[in-house]
Amino acid sequence: MMKCFSPIPRRYLIELGAAMLVYALVLCLSIFLLKTGYFDGPSATLVALLPTLPCIAACWAVLRQFRRLDELQMRVQLEALGFAFAGTALLSFSYGFLEGVGWRPLSMFTVWPVMAVLWVVGGVIAARRYR
Amino acid sequence: MKNHLKTLRAERGWSQTELAERLQVSRQTVNAIENERYDPSLPLAFRIARTFGLPIEDIFEAP
Repeated sequence: MMKCFSPIPRRYLIELGAAMLVYALVLCLSIFLLKTGYFDGPSATLVALLPTLPCIAACWAVLRQFRRLDELQMRVQLEALGFAFAGTALLSFSYGFLEGVGWRPLSMFTVWPVMAVLWVVGGVIAARRYR
Repeated sequence: MKNHLKTLRAERGWSQTELAERLQVSRQTVNAIENERYDPSLPLAFRIARTFGLPIEDIFEAP
């Protein structure tokens, strides 16, 4: 059977889905353990960082998917990530300057969703160029 | 870069999906090359030539 280059292959969905499922479970476990109050200091830090382990698996799934892309899909992703990289830098630095003049400090958790949105927007713009 | 991919594909009665499977690329990539929105790499151009059984210069024209 010939190799098929669909936009979102089944294998990627399975790998990423499994990683995210484990992430959700470990996150719940981490929150539960921290709420018990048994962990303090360095041990609490380690428990809080537990959900990053399945995140490494998610990163591995994303990298594997990148290696499966064909040359045009790779170019579209490069342009999308370049857009997201530059856009996130612009927004995060701009907001950092605003925090310096009294704007409310934002959590580090806000950075990645911003980059993800810009990645999608960049992907749509890049894909349209080659349609 | 100008090319005759669409004509050659039509002559053989292949769909874009079928050609994409033969070339091991996405259908969108075939579409982009046919519409001259994207110039393929040299290895892909050679795969296209091999798939159609033609020399590269019979498929692609220099700008």
